[in-house]
Amino acid sequence: MTELDRRRFLQLTGITLTAAGLAACAGTGSSEDSGDDGPVESLTFWSNHPGESKPVETELLDAFTADTGIAVKLVTAGATYEEVAQKFNAALSGGELPDLVVASDVTWFNFALNEAITPMNDLWSAADLDVDGYVESLVSDYEFDGKNYALPYARSTPLFYYNKQMWAAAGLPDRGPETWAEFAEWAPRLAAANPGIPPLALPDGSNYLDWHFQGMIWTFGGAYSDEWKPTFTSPESLEAGQYLQDRFKQGHLAINNDPNSVFGAGQAASLLQSTGSLGGLSETAGFDFGTAFLPGPTPGCPTGGAGLAIPQRISDERKEKAMQLLAFLTNTENTITFTQATGYMPVRKDAVDDPKTQAFLEERPNARTALEQLELTQSQDYARVFLPGGGARIGAALDRITIGGEDVETVFGELDEESTTVFERDIEPKL
Amino acid sequence: MTTVAPRPETDAAARRGAHADTAPHQRTSPLSRVGGYLGLLLVVVLVALPLYWILVTSLKDRPDIYTVPVTWLPDPFTSDNYRAVGTGVSFTDYLRNSIIITTVLTVVEVTLGVLSAFALSFLRFPGRTLVLLFVIASLMVPNQVTVISNYALVAQLGWRNTFAGIIVPLAGVAFGTFLMRNHFLSLPKEIIEAAEMDAAGPLKMLWRVVLPMSWPTLIAFTLITIVNEWNQYLWPLLMADDSSTAPLPVGLAQLQDTAGLTNWGPVMAGTVITMLPILVIFLLLQRHMIKGLTAGAVKG
Repeated sequence: MTELDRRRFLQLTGITLTAAGLAACAGTGSSEDSGDDGPVESLTFWSNHPGESKPVETELLDAFTADTGIAVKLVTAGATYEEVAQKFNAALSGGELPDLVVASDVTWFNFALNEAITPMNDLWSAADLDVDGYVESLVSDYEFDGKNYALPYARSTPLFYYNKQMWAAAGLPDRGPETWAEFAEWAPRLAAANPGIPPLALPDGSNYLDWHFQGMIWTFGGAYSDEWKPTFTSPESLEAGQYLQDRFKQGHLAINNDPNSVFGAGQAASLLQSTGSLGGLSETAGFDFGTAFLPGPTPGCPTGGAGLAIPQRISDERKEKAMQLLAFLTNTENTITFTQATGYMPVRKDAVDDPKTQAFLEERPNARTALEQLELTQSQDYARVFLPGGGARIGAALDRITIGGEDVETVFGELDEESTTVFERDIEPKL
Repeated sequence: MTTVAPRPETDAAARRGAHADTAPHQRTSPLSRVGGYLGLLLVVVLVALPLYWILVTSLKDRPDIYTVPVTWLPDPFTSDNYRAVGTGVSFTDYLRNSIIITTVLTVVEVTLGVLSAFALSFLRFPGRTLVLLFVIASLMVPNQVTVISNYALVAQLGWRNTFAGIIVPLAGVAFGTFLMRNHFLSLPKEIIEAAEMDAAGPLKMLWRVVLPMSWPTLIAFTLITIVNEWNQYLWPLLMADDSSTAPLPVGLAQLQDTAGLTNWGPVMAGTVITMLPILVIFLLLQRHMIKGLTAGAVKG
């Protein structure tokens, strides 16, 4: 027993010494709480640099520092919105919180519900922010229970891209289909005129098919949900699901994890993809392509992308400065700079009307489509953006009915049940 | 159980002798030999094709990458993608960080793995079975489950964005302990007992008796550890804030444009550069693995 105690003692001593040594090696570790008192001399901005925006973000942050004397550390917090959310989620467990963080349309609500990000309405007046200058539908995307939890930053809508050469070969007019019924009529003609080429390429469920299908389901009169009540099994929603499955079975659409590359390589006659793809496609595609509104009847188009949020658990002074930075990044001039560098939509109305934007759009008519379509958008369904894991759950179900060939009614029925369970378990108790 | 090491060689020699004496035609039939070679060729092609494709894509320009039908050779040949990797991300910083993280983790994991496996195999102490159960149990817990609690702990220590913060939580050795222990138990007991009778202490036994018979497994363990740590993504992503500590996989992910159309050229160039050190290490260690296999066999 004595020997055992000695051994334990030695073990404990060893562990303590190792921990102390490692702690000493850590050296530069800073304090966990970024909500220090005192004047704010620096801020931290967590971004995934949407649309390859790191250079332009750096440029804007440098300008902010020059204006205010506040240094801003730009942190690459992930390659995707989901990774940023993952890192932010981890930081909430006790790490250093950023002062400003990119929050996508499907991640912000969960943070708002758990009081991880702060309502901004009071901060707006402190920062002298002209909220009415933002595009209303984009601002309202971050509103819940009368409070706004983010402001729009890198926003986009899906677009209908089409290969003009293949369109001409099928004898089709130089425009996108006005309805999905019209697309169903055009698809066989496109397939016949362009053998081996699918008439439409779509991303799979892990690459936001759920976002693109949301517009489609609306045009059939269905929806993912009516506020919190899932409506996947309504006759209209099932009809939309059946339409998607039928087109896939008939070879009228190809589901792919990188449909941009397929379309860019001339291997699909058309494509549903974000406005953010326009820049890359313009550089890559060796053919003439056009952009069109998503098929209607309207509204057949959701908005998406990311906003900027401010964490709840930082000091009030840091929140105010973060709001000041947010206002700077999305002021008219910087909105123009950001959108022209990335291809995202202007989030401010006066940026849309600005002569610089108009001149930019004159040269790029394909980019104009997204702006004009903005009027026909509507906010997304709760089941996708507010329920935890909603987008991923719907995407997986859509993969099952397309690639998996499973029965639409069964899969959508399960989706309905799962969504109800998640709501009752994770959301309802917190409302 | 006691003659595990000598058996493969003895059996192989016996088989060779048997074939030489009795029915050599079954092994040397031209048809089966051609079939064997074709099978081997197919496997080589399956393994090599993706690597070849990565290399070729890294040397193509953007339109060429998307050309249909695909081109098997770059047309035109360009090294711009490699330059783009250098300018697109702080490549040398990420490379340095990857080397530091992988080296430290490999040394720590292999050392602790061998020592703990030795203790669990050859030393008698109270609670040995319980410790082993803990080791096995920890193998069954997915890393993702412990991410948040590890993060909270590391953040409280003030280790965010430090090498210590990235390295310490990854330095778990359950896999190594388990692997090496199983190997140690398969060693001939006679040799261990002989060493004990010669009054070899634990350290002497480890260095002079056990390890010389364990090179193949040890090198395999080292190789697995190196590859594993070189490819770490989630934990370093959570811990690191910038290129002062983030490793290559985190840096290279920035080259991929998730919203738009990824320019695969620089991504593939980055992948080639990331793969190269591992490939070199694998080639070097593979030679020693074969050497170790023959040296480790006990002639009987």
